[in-house]
Amino acid sequence: MVKFAKDIYKTLDSVRKGMEITLGYLFKKPVTQQFPQERWSLPERYRGFVHNDVPRCTACLLCAKACPSDCIYIELEGKGKERMMARYAIDYNKCIWCSLCCEPCPTNCITMSHDYDHSVYLRDRLVYEFVDEPVVPYKVPKKEKPEASAGTETEGGDA
Amino acid sequence: MFYRAFEGSGVFGAWPGWAVYGLAMLSIAVCLLLMVLTLVLVFSLAERKVSGFMQSRYGPMYVGRYHGLLQPVADMIKFLLKEDIAPTNVDKPLWRTAPAVIFTGAFLGFVVLPFGPGFVGAKLDVGLFYAFATSSIVVVGIIMAGWGSNNKWALYGAMRGAAQVISYEIPLAIAVLPVIMSVGSLNFGTITEAQSGWVWQWHVFNPILLVGFVIYFIASLAEVNRIPFDLPESESELVAGYHTEYTGMKFALVMLGEYADMFVVASIGVAVFLGGWNSGIPALDAIVPGPAIFVFKALVMVFVIMWLRWTLPRLRVDQLMNLCWKFLLPAALCMLLLYGLLRVVF
Repeated sequence: MVKFAKDIYKTLDSVRKGMEITLGYLFKKPVTQQFPQERWSLPERYRGFVHNDVPRCTACLLCAKACPSDCIYIELEGKGKERMMARYAIDYNKCIWCSLCCEPCPTNCITMSHDYDHSVYLRDRLVYEFVDEPVVPYKVPKKEKPEASAGTETEGGDA
Repeated sequence: MFYRAFEGSGVFGAWPGWAVYGLAMLSIAVCLLLMVLTLVLVFSLAERKVSGFMQSRYGPMYVGRYHGLLQPVADMIKFLLKEDIAPTNVDKPLWRTAPAVIFTGAFLGFVVLPFGPGFVGAKLDVGLFYAFATSSIVVVGIIMAGWGSNNKWALYGAMRGAAQVISYEIPLAIAVLPVIMSVGSLNFGTITEAQSGWVWQWHVFNPILLVGFVIYFIASLAEVNRIPFDLPESESELVAGYHTEYTGMKFALVMLGEYADMFVVASIGVAVFLGGWNSGIPALDAIVPGPAIFVFKALVMVFVIMWLRWTLPRLRVDQLMNLCWKFLLPAALCMLLLYGLLRVVF
């Protein structure tokens, strides 16, 4: 009999405690972030979508070789002096955003941007073409960084 | 009230008595229907916003200029435009009329709700009894929906739902009996007027009747299938449930019926225990209109019902039956006995 009454008391007490907690949450600010209007402020080294600054690209193919998923497609045409880069594409179906392509780049033309929300309806749209028509790859001038270090002759090719 | 207004004005002088009466009744019905529809719209948004904030999220924010205020309108348009799918082997008469029965059972309860001193749909002397009787019609609707759906999960959910509702009607009615004993009438107007005056004269502040109020509140949660007793509905989230085969407007009717029933039981609780249209302070009674106070109190009760939804876990069906027959019913009977003895002795 006493247990019966105690059970009832415990039930009502626990319901009261639960209700206090829930009521507390009613008046707290929600943690939701209203997406298109509010966005995260990203850290500086955030690895978003890869961006290639084509005018500075030397078509050395180091990024394509470094990529673990083989998602960078580069096509070259011509020989010798007439070498042109016909296609530079990154396939985001395969990209794992590891930023290994950015490290070997001699001119730092490939970087990780802060973009993260490029959703598409068709998978083909996730292959980003950076080159419309064949371009001449960048030729690194000899004295690119004259103020790099005092006295030492730097080759503009070193990153 | 309406009838006298209609008769008093000389407009319908040439009409026979029964026509004026009919027109008055029709206008009351239309008014109540509009009220029910508005209330349900408000409740559906309020439920989603309250649920949202209690779960550290916003509710609907997008529709409408500010915090999703036009979301219910969008919901209604969606329900109207949805395709009405009827499975092949449903029991057509049962399946088609079940949502209407569910909604009607809930809507019939609105007729006796005492909004203010003269503001009742019909001044029934058996008001309270009528309210409980009509809320039982919802059970018939649930069983019709479950059987007619030709779906064993729907039938299973409907049977559990029916068992739950009819079991909990017993403590519901018994919890209200001491109040009837003290007031001496089933008429809602009389019950409310017995609580006029100061706040402490409300029935809920009498210690024994407070227990009655708690029992009534718990039983009313089970009547309207709200958490922690929402087995018929939750089965619709998990497996099926009695309203699985309904789409579009039929489902909207079931939903309307559920929210309307929630308001009815909340209002009965307010009228019987919490003072009805009396604010607790006589000075305020003269200034603030009765219906406003009544609706405000009923909305507070509905808010508590919604609050409990996100506080308590759902009960299993055997725990539910256990609660009813082993805890609520003995408590209600003890309370009835005690109150009766006290009234005889003192």
